[in-house]
Amino acid sequence: MLTPVGASLLAKIVNDNAGHLTPRGALRFFASKLAPTVFALFGFSAAAHGFDLQQLSDQLAKPSVIHGSFIQEKHLRALPQPLVSKGTFVLAKDHGLLWLLKTPLQQDYRISTQGIARRDANGWQTLPNKSAGAEQNRLFLAVLQGDSSGLQRDFDLQLQGEAEQWQLTLTPRSLLLKQVFKQINIDGGTLVHSIELLETQGDSTVLRMQDSSADLPLSDAEQHDFAQ
Amino acid sequence: MPSERLLPRLFLTLLVAVLALAGWQWRHGAPLSANLMELVPGNTPDALELQAEQRMQEPLNREILVLVGHADRQQAVNVAEQLGARWQASGLFEKVQWNLQADLPALRAQLLRGRLSMLAAKDREQLIDHPDAFIQQRVQALFDPFTGFSLVPSQDDWLGLTGRIQNSQPQSGAVQLDIGSGALIADADGKSWVLLRARTTGNAFDMKLPLQVADLLQASRAQATEHGAQLLAASGLLYAASGQQQASREITWVGGGATLGILLLLLLAFRRWRVLLAFVPVLVGMLFGAVACVALFGHMHVMTLVLGSSLIGVAVDYPLHYLSKSWSLQPWRSWPALRLTLPGLSLSLATSCIGYLALAWTPFPALTQIAVFSAAGLVGAYLSAVCLLPALLKGVDLRPAQWPLHIAERLWLMRSGLIKRVPSAVLLVWVLLFCAGGLWQLNSKNDLRQWIGAPPQLLQEAQAVARITGFQPTSQFFLVRADNQQQLLERQAALGQRLEQLVNMDKLQGYLALNQLVNLPAEQQQLREALNALPAHWQPLLDLGVPVGALQAEVAQLQALPTQDIDAALLGPLAEPWRTLWLGPVDGGVAAMISLQGLSDPALLQVQAADLPGVQLVDRLGELNRVFAATQISAAELKLMSCGLIVLLLIVPFGFGGALRIVALPLLAALCSLASLGWLGQPLTLFSLFGLLLVTAISVDYAILMREQIGGPAVSLLGTLLAALTTWLSFGLLALSSTPAVSNFGLSVSLGLAFSFMLAPWAGRQKHAS
Repeated sequence: MLTPVGASLLAKIVNDNAGHLTPRGALRFFASKLAPTVFALFGFSAAAHGFDLQQLSDQLAKPSVIHGSFIQEKHLRALPQPLVSKGTFVLAKDHGLLWLLKTPLQQDYRISTQGIARRDANGWQTLPNKSAGAEQNRLFLAVLQGDSSGLQRDFDLQLQGEAEQWQLTLTPRSLLLKQVFKQINIDGGTLVHSIELLETQGDSTVLRMQDSSADLPLSDAEQHDFAQ
Repeated sequence: MPSERLLPRLFLTLLVAVLALAGWQWRHGAPLSANLMELVPGNTPDALELQAEQRMQEPLNREILVLVGHADRQQAVNVAEQLGARWQASGLFEKVQWNLQADLPALRAQLLRGRLSMLAAKDREQLIDHPDAFIQQRVQALFDPFTGFSLVPSQDDWLGLTGRIQNSQPQSGAVQLDIGSGALIADADGKSWVLLRARTTGNAFDMKLPLQVADLLQASRAQATEHGAQLLAASGLLYAASGQQQASREITWVGGGATLGILLLLLLAFRRWRVLLAFVPVLVGMLFGAVACVALFGHMHVMTLVLGSSLIGVAVDYPLHYLSKSWSLQPWRSWPALRLTLPGLSLSLATSCIGYLALAWTPFPALTQIAVFSAAGLVGAYLSAVCLLPALLKGVDLRPAQWPLHIAERLWLMRSGLIKRVPSAVLLVWVLLFCAGGLWQLNSKNDLRQWIGAPPQLLQEAQAVARITGFQPTSQFFLVRADNQQQLLERQAALGQRLEQLVNMDKLQGYLALNQLVNLPAEQQQLREALNALPAHWQPLLDLGVPVGALQAEVAQLQALPTQDIDAALLGPLAEPWRTLWLGPVDGGVAAMISLQGLSDPALLQVQAADLPGVQLVDRLGELNRVFAATQISAAELKLMSCGLIVLLLIVPFGFGGALRIVALPLLAALCSLASLGWLGQPLTLFSLFGLLLVTAISVDYAILMREQIGGPAVSLLGTLLAALTTWLSFGLLALSSTPAVSNFGLSVSLGLAFSFMLAPWAGRQKHAS
């Protein structure tokens, strides 16, 4: 009978706070979501025999380790020169990604099932991104394992070209994503060559992968880095 | 006699007038209320506190939160989308939201506007004290491929203040944004749970809406199950709906059960169909009670109806008084029988009213209403029993069944036999020993939860929702007052520091305060000044190619940002969580609240507010529990006072000794009931005490009946037995209520009635007691 005050106090368990996460959730998400998604696409190391997305996906799982170096160019609308940085990366199917920035400053990153970590003097520090982390890792791992369905839910995927030279274009589906960026272009041959991220506001980031090779296994040091 | 014609006419005139008044009161539909807040002590003299409380409560009573769970994330989103559309179309909600389309331009504008006012303390200190490190981190962020992404483009914010504000926003809960659908999703128990939120057009205390929402939810559950999805829901509305369903169920059971039982009893005892007219005073009593309640309080609470339905058993006692005389008074005629019992009837009305009205002085609006309802109802029942019913029963030749009288005679003989062997004084000693033993074991327990008859399933779901989403708002909050905004923010910051310690100790999950949203004007000024020193440190940014002109322009722009006050800071989408916390200018000052999440020990909070000026903990739950405990004492005092009044009243007809005896018996009965509660292992609650308060009033009636002994002891005992049985039929059924408070009430009244009946014969003159 009584619609008890106590009960409604208990109901407070849930109250309006759910609404509080709206903009904050969005911020969190944008802050750390996109980059790993893009990097996950490394997995598309295309030894693709046709132009079929499925075939491209099927090839993802094949190379277990890819080593290479990268050049990252950040084109900011207001800067005449892009911000250029260089380094090396290791993508290991079963472990994740090591992203080692060398110049102009040194900084190591790691993406794994545990989330994004950054190395400082005390070792790997997992970045606090509790809320967005789970989702982005899910997506990341889905891609690593050759499951493009995760990506297809959020993006329109268009594959052009041939196995030795292809281009994958990702166009965001949701209004939300469209407000942030226009398009992601991935070029590749046997392996991924470059990833270009075009933001809606005019800035863009280009990642060029060079000397990628799937020949070497993980070194001890790399295994150690993934293990921590 | 002329009065035999005049009285019914006068009464019918009155009845018509009351009926007309009732019709007018109900012209806009039933003036019923289900708002429990009206029933608990509203001893909040402070208007501001009340306003704050309402502000915190409002969403509870209007919002419903649903989690749509499915092992497959996309399925969960699909089902949520379907439900969202269905709910939107239902017309019950002013807003239904299952996905989020963030207004990014507004977010950007707010971040840019708030670069000085919203920068977190840690970042502010770094900019002021370690500008080198500040610039270094900015350079790093520009290269960082993982965290470098900001809503505001770099050229609008070279120093990266918006990015820092973004990252320092307090984060709570386990709900994340699903990128594609915009849905808010939490993962738990191997399922993805999509959050669906709806805000109703009315609140939980609307009489229809909660039931409609509950129905819709039930239909939605079925729909979700078809798709293999599970729904979890939490809302004050659902408690309201379940409460209303329960109330109508219990009114049917208590009211219906009591009515049927009493009618059956009347038929069995008096064997005349027309004797069922004795129920007329009951109906009139209900009418009078309802009309008086609405006239005094503007409306009637459903709880009054539930507890008031037990009035049936008391109201029917008046006709029983003279109907039972038919066992000794042959031939029985209605008017003479009435004249014979009129003094007793009137005394009985007076004592019952005194007992009921004593309830009105407790600080419980619930009981005040019940008291008014009952007192007015009794007056109505008395008037109809005295003025109308004898006319209706005129010419009825009552030939009651003899078996009840035989039972009464046997009981009387048993009692006499007992007294012969064991003198009354010895019996009294035994009774007192019984009482002492029971009282020794009696525990007192007072908790607001006794008011809650919520089904466990509702509670479990609410808990599951809290666990999955990670939101655990507490009912306690802090109210902070100050002379001006500056002082308010300072006071909040001082409290915030203490709360921070609780958070670090895992005693508190988090809190929300305005000073997290906006910096003090002085702090904003410090930042402005610190910016002057920045050019000496920003060489690393220039090295990247950032034009010096752009940096200078940005600093100039930052320094020109107006100092934001609370009102300005609350504009924009990021401020949404804080908006309800701001109470604005009040009483020549300002006030705001601090809300809390995931509290483990409420006792810790009181300590936090100590010696902080203007800070007050609002703990409605704890406060109510304290009021409950305090009221127990005042209820006991009221009981004694009402007894004193009744003694005064009874001195006239029975003399001082007789009056004392008549009042002492119900008191002894109450004591025995208390002891029985102890022996039964039942706690003494405020409600059992109220029940006993009531029993005192009712059972004085039995003592009077036994004292007067019109028609001999056996007939009087039979009258008492019938009265007690009818009363017990209605109150005893309350004991079956699923609301602990109500069932507790019913139990103690039942016990009290039983003891009153057993003790009533001792009200007789000395010679009977020997």
